[in-house]
Amino acid sequence: MLKKIHFLLLASTMLFFAGQDMLRAETAQTTGRDVMVMEDERPDGNDRTSVMKMTLVNKRGSKRVREVSSYSKDYGKDKKSVMVFDRPADVKGTAFLSWEYDDPEKEDDKWLYMPAMKKVRRISGASKNEYFMGSDFTYDDMGDRNVDEDTHKLLGEEEVDGHPCWKVESIPVDPDDMYTRKVIWVSKEAQMVLKAEYYDKDGLLKVYRVLDFDKEGGFWSVQHSEMENVVRNHKTVMEFDSMQYDTGLQDKLFRVSSIQRGRVH
Amino acid sequence: MMTLGCVQMAGAEVSAEETSWMEQVAVDGWIEGVQSVQVRSPHDALTSRVWGRLKLSADIDDFFGYVSVDAQKNWTVDSETGIDVHEAWLEYVADGWDARIGRQVIIWGKADGLQITDIISPPDYTEFITRDLEEIRLPVDAAKFRLLGETVDVELIWIPVFRAAVQPSADSPWALGQDIPDDVRVTVSPVDEPETSLENSEIALKVSAFWSGLDVAVSAFHTWDDNPAMHRTVTQRNGETDIHFSPEHHRMTVFGLEFSRPWSDFVFRGEVAYYLGRFFEPRSITGDPSRKNALNWLAGIDWTPGNDWSVTAQTAGVFIMDYERSLAAEQHALSGTLNVSKKLLRQTLTLSNMLYYDVREQDFFEQIKAEYAVTDDLHFLTGVDVFGGGGQSFGRYKDNTQVWFKAKYSF
Repeated sequence: MLKKIHFLLLASTMLFFAGQDMLRAETAQTTGRDVMVMEDERPDGNDRTSVMKMTLVNKRGSKRVREVSSYSKDYGKDKKSVMVFDRPADVKGTAFLSWEYDDPEKEDDKWLYMPAMKKVRRISGASKNEYFMGSDFTYDDMGDRNVDEDTHKLLGEEEVDGHPCWKVESIPVDPDDMYTRKVIWVSKEAQMVLKAEYYDKDGLLKVYRVLDFDKEGGFWSVQHSEMENVVRNHKTVMEFDSMQYDTGLQDKLFRVSSIQRGRVH
Repeated sequence: MMTLGCVQMAGAEVSAEETSWMEQVAVDGWIEGVQSVQVRSPHDALTSRVWGRLKLSADIDDFFGYVSVDAQKNWTVDSETGIDVHEAWLEYVADGWDARIGRQVIIWGKADGLQITDIISPPDYTEFITRDLEEIRLPVDAAKFRLLGETVDVELIWIPVFRAAVQPSADSPWALGQDIPDDVRVTVSPVDEPETSLENSEIALKVSAFWSGLDVAVSAFHTWDDNPAMHRTVTQRNGETDIHFSPEHHRMTVFGLEFSRPWSDFVFRGEVAYYLGRFFEPRSITGDPSRKNALNWLAGIDWTPGNDWSVTAQTAGVFIMDYERSLAAEQHALSGTLNVSKKLLRQTLTLSNMLYYDVREQDFFEQIKAEYAVTDDLHFLTGVDVFGGGGQSFGRYKDNTQVWFKAKYSF
């Protein structure tokens, strides 16, 4: 009996060490790209709806608020999105439709409906470096950047607010990109970016932090985050409300004819 | 807030019902004040007005109703003072089609500030083209029906009531005058507008496709010319000439083609419209307008290089078929626009310069503008409208070069 217990202990000890070795080997083999692909492919349902509130805070502490209703749906690896602006009042009803393609060689399609002009116009898909409505987020910061638009290097592992994370350095392939590099912390548990530092040729420009995240409808979701421009000392606080996944958004929502109404239906 | 308080007192069930009803109704709008000063002596105020627009909308299931009411006090153009309904329509959205019936502004085309195929809603030139584009277009009483496909839409518009373009009134600083020789006496009949009847209806059909990397549309519009042809009856008496003008709107049919295609930081746009049976004014005051076919075309490019810069350039032309030298217009009249804008201070300050240029007359209109968002809802704007050249398109308004200030509050 004692022999049997000794054998079991020995066997389980051997198995434990073998498991640890395998885990070490797996971690050693995990690359920065693997982490970013994992983050990119994090399950978030086939469609999603939310109300996004952006509060722009300048260095004197005064605030401006933008509120946007957002809808998106996956079409394989491609994605279609609609944003309708609810605030501020002078842009209410402005709607932005985008068809984003996974293929980096294929330009995204984008249309903008402006209620004052009462018509939809094509806008170029390339201007991703513009800031979104005066906030500290560029269109690229908010959109689905293709993983291979940057080269990624795993720098190690660190905790962010108590959450174990992979730390990855991403350098844009395009030398004309507005950022020279990014350092990104990806949560091991949620597979989402919890913190990111954006550098330009002059050094650290912006810091992104997730202030609150949780599981909504079975999917990890950011509920509260901020982007701080450390050079100009202003920041944008982003809050998500009414987040819903897999509600079966209809394809017709993502057509030009829908945004032409100045609202989505 | 008071209403909400009362509802809460009445009970939870009522509260939920009332809140839901309130969520379906929205009230918004804007109010603006504009004051301008003529740069040249006598430094008159060419624009002096307060204008407000109240917009009410109700979104109830598949129906959407919209009413906007304008109120204006205008100190330079008396006829503009008053209250009127700008738009009032009801829309029904079904699976695969929608319909909008009522007074509505309908904008077609890919051009900015120039009308090629965009002739459904007539222009309001009360203050020439110094107003914002939003304020230049007139609504029409129409029924619009759309069949909505995956990437192709078919739009059918029926306009039973004719509405003419608005030209500046005689007392307006923007009134269009004509040099009359001393020995010529002129009388003018009231404008002959088409009566409202089924056969006088205007009808438009447009098929639009929105594909990856390309938008294309073809259209046909059986309409009335928004501007009347100034027919003349000339009589000679005792060495003097009497000219009687009989302004009359005429039927015409317009076939259109438009496209836009993005590439990198650019969007290329184009529009062509073939006008069948449009009247052109004569060069001589005693001549008569001639009915011709004409090709209107436009090519444009939008460039967004990033860093909040935006550049738009357009060139356009009108080519008259079977041209006669007696016409006032050139056989191929060319014009162009250039708009450059830059946003600064976290997009709270926008500087822009819009230039219209008439190639034949070498006339131009340039609007240099600065817009600052004091808050999200309150914007201050200031600018200068410069008219130059010696021709009749923009140069005639040389004395109306003005500096202006505007405050606009949106709610």
